Amino acid sequence: MILSGWEAVFFWVFGLAALVAGLLTVMAKNAVHAALFLISALVAVAALFILLGAEFVAGVQILVYVGGVMVLFLFVIMLVNVGAEEREQEELFNSPAQVGLAIVFCAALAFGMVSIISRSAGLFLPPGGEPGQTLAERAAAQREERARREAQLPPAATGVSRLSRDTQEVGASLFRYAGLPFEIASVLLLVAIVGSVLLARTAKQEAAADDLDPEVKKSLESGVWSLEPEGRADPHNDEVPAASAPYSRPAPETQASELQTPDSRPQTLK
Amino acid sequence: MMTNTLAFALALLQDSRLENVGQGIQHPDTSKFLVVAALMFCIGLAGVLVRRNVIVIFMAIELILNAANLNFIAFARHLEETGNLNAVAGEVFTVFVIVVAAAEAAIGLGIVIALYRNRETVFVDKIDLLKW
Repeated sequence: MILSGWEAVFFWVFGLAALVAGLLTVMAKNAVHAALFLISALVAVAALFILLGAEFVAGVQILVYVGGVMVLFLFVIMLVNVGAEEREQEELFNSPAQVGLAIVFCAALAFGMVSIISRSAGLFLPPGGEPGQTLAERAAAQREERARREAQLPPAATGVSRLSRDTQEVGASLFRYAGLPFEIASVLLLVAIVGSVLLARTAKQEAAADDLDPEVKKSLESGVWSLEPEGRADPHNDEVPAASAPYSRPAPETQASELQTPDSRPQTLK
Repeated sequence: MMTNTLAFALALLQDSRLENVGQGIQHPDTSKFLVVAALMFCIGLAGVLVRRNVIVIFMAIELILNAANLNFIAFARHLEETGNLNAVAGEVFTVFVIVVAAAEAAIGLGIVIALYRNRETVFVDKIDLLKW
């Protein structure tokens, strides 16, 4: 694939945008800013996919990454307290020695990969060019070839452009040759749904869902254990104090019931 | 080894004469996509190694996966041009990579929420229960 003209311009614009946005993602102080920069990097990569003629993957990238995964990221950023970095109460990066070593390593890796790729650049030219041809001539020949192939495609409703066959080919290949991996992927997604629901719910929600361990439930009913973590003072404050066990032992004289509403909550041991 | 590296860099400089560079900029080919993907991978790797916030580390992992996807698509297009009939497999694989990335983000962020509930931190150097 040799790009030329406006496609080349768009390649440089989106390639640089992806790299700069990626760098800003890694360096942003605020996690929300990092997420927004990552979204722009992902959109720029989707644009590169379109330049490569993979429209279906570009659409999936926008829908799944930007529409799904990044919304999830933003929700989690909202749920956990990440303001400490921005208020400079917490260090942004690891210790300087670790950072220096990591950057040297990554720079060496980048230099190695880029030099190897540029050394073997001749391998990545499309076949069919004559030996004496310059890159511009080959690009022009390739553009003609592509236009000839595109002219055979059915026209779109507006009549201006042609319908791409990319989605059709990906779909056919996906279900013809990758049927089993496709099913496995669906099972993987199911496991991910169940796993993230299980991981993210609280002890209170577990009790409400009535699938507590019978032993735990018995001890809850007999008042040996309370669902309330120690030292919870404000009933409207959902943040659990640090290093508190999900199930804590209340004071012996209190009556711990199974599910406590905020107003009838007994005092737990401080 | 040092002299080897120097000689390699010198050969690289001589190899890429100015008109070659100009032509390469005007007509980017598959190797330029690979260069973008390689740099993106390195940025993501640096982010994983450098940052403390586990959410930003996850974002850096997404960058790494995207670099791999870009490589897949670029090679799929290149193989298609060299006449490989099954070249669209690269795009199909990219779809699977995106699926796995979505599952990984869901599980990983669930773990982050559970960790935050129990330890009230999102910094990886404070989550050291398994450290020897």
